[in-house]
Amino acid sequence: LGCGTGKYLSVNSQVYNLGCDYCEGLVEIARKKGDEVLVCDNLNLPFRDQCFNAVISIGVIHHFSTKQRRIKAIKEMARILTSGGQIMIYVWAMEQKNRRFEKQDVFVPWNKALCSRRFSESNPSGDKGEFVHTPKGQDVHPAQLVISECSYQNNLQPETDPKHSRDMDHCLPRACCMKISEEENRFYSALGRSFRSWFFSRSLDESALRKQSDKMKHLKHEGVWANSTVPIQHSRHCSLDLGHPGALLNERGLEDDDDVFVESLSLKKPQWSPATDALKDLSLNGEHQSVAPNKGDKASFINGPVEDRDHICGCDKDGAGKSDASKFFKRTSTTDSTDSALDSAVSVGDQTDAVLDTKAFMRYYHVFREGELCSLVEENVPELQILSSCYDHGNWCIIAERRG
Amino acid sequence: MKLLTHNLLSSHVPGLRPGGGFPLRIELGRPSELPPEPLPNYEADEEFLRRLHHVLLEVEVLEGSLQCPDSGRRFPISKGVPNMLLTEDEA
Repeated sequence: LGCGTGKYLSVNSQVYNLGCDYCEGLVEIARKKGDEVLVCDNLNLPFRDQCFNAVISIGVIHHFSTKQRRIKAIKEMARILTSGGQIMIYVWAMEQKNRRFEKQDVFVPWNKALCSRRFSESNPSGDKGEFVHTPKGQDVHPAQLVISECSYQNNLQPETDPKHSRDMDHCLPRACCMKISEEENRFYSALGRSFRSWFFSRSLDESALRKQSDKMKHLKHEGVWANSTVPIQHSRHCSLDLGHPGALLNERGLEDDDDVFVESLSLKKPQWSPATDALKDLSLNGEHQSVAPNKGDKASFINGPVEDRDHICGCDKDGAGKSDASKFFKRTSTTDSTDSALDSAVSVGDQTDAVLDTKAFMRYYHVFREGELCSLVEENVPELQILSSCYDHGNWCIIAERRG
Repeated sequence: MKLLTHNLLSSHVPGLRPGGGFPLRIELGRPSELPPEPLPNYEADEEFLRRLHHVLLEVEVLEGSLQCPDSGRRFPISKGVPNMLLTEDEA
């Protein structure tokens, strides 16, 4: 479940493998590789009860935005397991070796241009949030990075040869592998520094989610976020999606403490009108097309908006505002002044548009504390019995068996 | 989509009778090459097993649809990939 481009579908050729993902684009890539795949919803699986001997969920359920959805996903996977069948679940750990997540519910940016992180690095998965190094030459496909952002490949294949080409025939040829200029380097360094302030301070579960209409009314009239009851404390720079990376990386703001947002709002008032416009563009149906204005012709990007839709629309099921959650990362602060280095970085991005797409997507993660995944299963999924659990390269992992 | 996969699939349209939604009806042009019922002692029948293996694992539906036998809802198959997503209204 959540097979993406089918990275783990060839792990065991002795069994009948079936890959499923919510995203059509990724599934198509897997299909072209020769995998047996289908498109479906982890929360509503189109399978009969008890028809699989084994299920794997690698780096999937941490994308579900509420506890209930995460439980539902696990229960669905348990339902389709035979008695004695086993499931393996990997999720990002809050506890990382080299970095620390400040909160459990975070948005982690993903940018195609930054996709050339070496797979062989043993960085904990959490490091993907900080892109502070020069991309190296690498045969890494952007879609792969979307899937393997969690560095799970290190878990199962520690000796993965970093040069091993994944043979994705529509990979932008060498796009990730070009050397970047000094300016671009500074751009990405700035990007990295700012990421800490991109993380949100409250769980979406805990947020006071008001009625959609109230929110929209507020914002249209006042044009500011100040009156929003959504307790966002971190960063106004939460979205690169609308193509203003320069503005977002106004370095003056980045050194501020994390509570830049609410308190300093009075100073920022004029900046929010573009954001308000952005809001008006938001469909109240929760369509998130504007999140990824990229033409979307590359399969690798389909994962972004599709996934976001899932995460954000999850809030809707709780009876609260879809648009509330969508506002978390739709809001852009388009400051007028921009760092000159960033300007040049942006223009470089324009010139080599296929190579350096400066847009980034925000992906929601609920990172798990030690023991949290076990408790989640023990307390909510009695049909599963945990056989073992461990910490593996920045992930919490469990193997459980269906009882009976 | 291989036929073995089809064997695992069930319609998950809400509100079906218990045990409903299975099997999904495959809609395409070609008739089956297998006998309607397995003959007794089929496990020893090498010829039958070959044909069965062929049909289950070597024949793929590339374009068509799967129809829920209870609700009539059709799930499309495109480029060999079935799309089993329900719309927001349905789920």
